[in-house]
Amino acid sequence: MTYSSTELAPKLSNASIKKAWDVYSAFDWPDSLPEDNWYMSPELISLYGTDIYDNLTEAQQKKLSFTELCNFFSLVLQGERPLVQGLAHRLYLKSTEPDVSEYLHHFIDEENKHMVMFGMFLKRYFGKVYPEKKVNIPRQYAKGEEDVAFLCKALAVEEYGEYYNVVMWHDDRIHPLVSEINRVHHFDETRHLAFGRARLVETFNEKSQKWSSEELASFRESLVAYLQSSWGDYYNPTMYKDAGLEDGYGLRQLALEHGKAHRQKASEVLVNLLVENGILEEVPEL
Amino acid sequence: MEESEVKLKLKDWIIDRSKIPVVDGQLKDDTPIIEDGYLSSLDIVEFILYIESLIGEELELEELEPEMFTSTNTMYETFFASV
Repeated sequence: MTYSSTELAPKLSNASIKKAWDVYSAFDWPDSLPEDNWYMSPELISLYGTDIYDNLTEAQQKKLSFTELCNFFSLVLQGERPLVQGLAHRLYLKSTEPDVSEYLHHFIDEENKHMVMFGMFLKRYFGKVYPEKKVNIPRQYAKGEEDVAFLCKALAVEEYGEYYNVVMWHDDRIHPLVSEINRVHHFDETRHLAFGRARLVETFNEKSQKWSSEELASFRESLVAYLQSSWGDYYNPTMYKDAGLEDGYGLRQLALEHGKAHRQKASEVLVNLLVENGILEEVPEL
Repeated sequence: MEESEVKLKLKDWIIDRSKIPVVDGQLKDDTPIIEDGYLSSLDIVEFILYIESLIGEELELEELEPEMFTSTNTMYETFFASV
């Protein structure tokens, strides 16, 4: 049975209340983390399967798994900032139903906790958060397009992250603190994803009816570019440099080329939703 | 790197990723690359990483403004002239 976002909202609010947790007491933070440990599942490391990765010592691979994890936590944290901003903007709009407003409070609360959680990890063990490399250049939107674009971007951040969360939560090779963070993140995100998927489809169906075919084509083109660009954030030249590898920009290009099949697989749930609901016409190359 | 070499590298990068067809000599040092549709705002993300690879250090992102990416000339002046 498929629920609308307004039908889902009270159910999700109840679940959020029942499963509420305190970010400040949820984890035992050790003073330091051992170097001789995996932090990101090896198969998720962007260079995994390349000759360069195969020629690294295991110690170098583990060091890279740590900086890749720190990049992953950073990009999720950075992606959640505009998400919270956009959700807060929608809290008490006339068009936002009361049950949805109530759920948005939980959504914002949980996203804030995730940012605290990732921020605490990065500050304690890495000493920095990787910055978001974006320059905001204003552009023209069709009527209602900005709303649909916001929901698409929110869902992309969460769907990509969810793939990594599930793999790492179940991976007993990686440090237990990291598995636990991924597990906690996953359980809140399943609610956010359920709401986000329903809300996006409804909003697209409503708003896109008034778009011309040119406006719809332009929206789809921007969305594909955004999905591709978001994947680009996973290949951060500085994270390679921080792992002691040279030519970070060159490694990014190598990993981007090498990781096509991985990106298609990790994007499958999101892309299927977009195509099945006519938000995209066909499966894009990511 | 000489000014002319930097500008050539920047223009080659833009032509390689341009959203519109580019004929020889069309892209000048003062051509508005975003306004004229050569690159989108999302391409600028990738361009920042390329510029960082040329100068060998990370850019201070909080100080970046869209105007800095107007043309090859503005990018050279902003990111390379004082290096």
